[in-house]
Amino acid sequence: MSDYTTGIKELDDVIGGIRKGSNIMLIGPPMSGKEIILNHIMYHGAANNENAIITVTTRESATHILEWFQANNLILPMSRIGIVDCVSKTLGGTAVENENIKIASSPVDLTGIGVKISQFLEEFFIKKNNQKIQLHINSLSTILMYSNIQTVFRFLHVFTGRIKAAGALGIYVIESGMHDEQAIATLKQLFDGLIEIKSEDDKNLIRIVGVSPKPTPWFEYEIEGNNLKISRGN
Amino acid sequence: MVETGIPKLDEFLGGGIPKGKSLVYYSQPGVEGEIFGLQTVYGTLKKGGTCVFVVSSTMPEIIKDQIKEFGWDMNSYKDKLFFVDSYNPLIGAHSDEKYVVSNPDNIEYFNKTITDIIKKLPPSTIVFGSLSTIMDLCGEKETIEAVRNWNKLAMVYDHVLVYNFTAWPYSEQTLDLIKGSLFNSVITIGGIAERVIFGQYFGILKSDWAEVSRKSMLFRVLRPGGIRIFIPKILVTGPFDAGKSTFVHALSTRAISVDRLGTTIAMDHGHVDYKGFSADIFGTPGQERFDPIIKLLSGESMGVFLIVDSTNPSDFVRAKYMLDITKSYGLPYVIIANKQDLPGALKPEEIREQFHLPEDVPVVPVVAKDKKGVFEAFEVLIDRITGGV
Repeated sequence: MSDYTTGIKELDDVIGGIRKGSNIMLIGPPMSGKEIILNHIMYHGAANNENAIITVTTRESATHILEWFQANNLILPMSRIGIVDCVSKTLGGTAVENENIKIASSPVDLTGIGVKISQFLEEFFIKKNNQKIQLHINSLSTILMYSNIQTVFRFLHVFTGRIKAAGALGIYVIESGMHDEQAIATLKQLFDGLIEIKSEDDKNLIRIVGVSPKPTPWFEYEIEGNNLKISRGN
Repeated sequence: MVETGIPKLDEFLGGGIPKGKSLVYYSQPGVEGEIFGLQTVYGTLKKGGTCVFVVSSTMPEIIKDQIKEFGWDMNSYKDKLFFVDSYNPLIGAHSDEKYVVSNPDNIEYFNKTITDIIKKLPPSTIVFGSLSTIMDLCGEKETIEAVRNWNKLAMVYDHVLVYNFTAWPYSEQTLDLIKGSLFNSVITIGGIAERVIFGQYFGILKSDWAEVSRKSMLFRVLRPGGIRIFIPKILVTGPFDAGKSTFVHALSTRAISVDRLGTTIAMDHGHVDYKGFSADIFGTPGQERFDPIIKLLSGESMGVFLIVDSTNPSDFVRAKYMLDITKSYGLPYVIIANKQDLPGALKPEEIREQFHLPEDVPVVPVVAKDKKGVFEAFEVLIDRITGGV
């Protein structure tokens, strides 16, 4: 049995799972359903594989994320969920921390975000004695809007290292087409593999690169509600 | 003198920070180092001082909220605390603060504002919420040059300068300067890590006005309350009759055991104070039926001593199993090769081989009944726990 799986059966069958300590970039164009794919991986990991999931959100509030699962009748095991919310404070809302939600002061505050990630890692790894942990950062693109590439590289250098040391799985979302090639190439050095998404002729395609000896074939997928449907490989 | 307001730190620094001096809180990423700067703001205000807080990575309003969360009443100090806002301009928002750095990715704009403050305000404590953010935006060399100037000016105008700095992997040259010559004092703030960070400590790396002996303190951050020192728990485990109780008693300034017929059936408990470190020591029973106690105690410990009887290799399998229980919690550990005075005792290296231990795991030769090697072992474990800072 492999250390981590995505829950997307067709892809898992080809790659045979993801080794612990891996850091993966999830890259794709805007509006291609990256969030839903990430939510899907999160739900599968927490509910089916008893993974603890730490999600850093720079795009929507923690409550908003949890509402999505509720609205789609997916019951998250909350004892294994930790969300670092980097949005709520800057929107001036009344953001309150609780067992599942920690609030970072802004997407610029990488030090603060780092502290919250470390706290959740300790919480799950030591206090709850769960060594299967996934860290999702959604998204690097927002962080890159406020900080330059060297700064983000240094931040990721530290945290991809921590993921390795903890035997966890890191997934980092980035928008394709929003950053220059050089920036993406720089960041890619830090990752062991890619979950790649592209849109072609109104079709969404997904594949995984770098985890298995050869890239997986491109699979066409459709999103209906909470459902991620792989229609066929090509 | 300005007080940092951080327990034990003022004592270590000989009362606090003298006027004209600079100090940096040098934090490893992932630990709560930025609270130190904030608590120093409060420390200054409480003693009637004036304070300037330079906010770079979030809105001043959010910092004010954080202060409230710590339960520090700032209302009475309203006219004594000023904010420099370099965040709102960064995200293109309006700022209501008195001091604003209008172009926060150019160090010259910082220079102008900070120099202005240094020259105009009465002797104050100027705290930089995040020097690393300024460095990220303005460049490493440029920022260091500016800091050098501010520190010089502060000396002339009798201010105290305090910086929060997160030690991201900047160039070695930059990190060496910050840990070395740039500031009068360097306080390191680190995390105890084996596979994840699970405890935090601070220590004085340097201070040119106070004599520094090697001192580290573990701390927790409470809301409300702020930084609080806390005493870590260290676990002593090992097979039956390996000498755990003897070890706990040898190491402790005071200790008790819960015994029946000369063997420990519940646990040993001791407290050690040594070279500025203090810890509570818990010894587990060795018999298998008490394994749940090891599990229970492991979850809250900071490190582990595994005691083995060097003359009794037949117990090593059992010892290994006990180590596995505690290792699964990711705790740093040291192997104690006890009873080194007895004939036939295996050497530490031989024990390492039998255990298939990685090279970097310390195996310390000890004669617990004569207190030989026990404090060396304690230092080795503390080094493992704090990463040797």
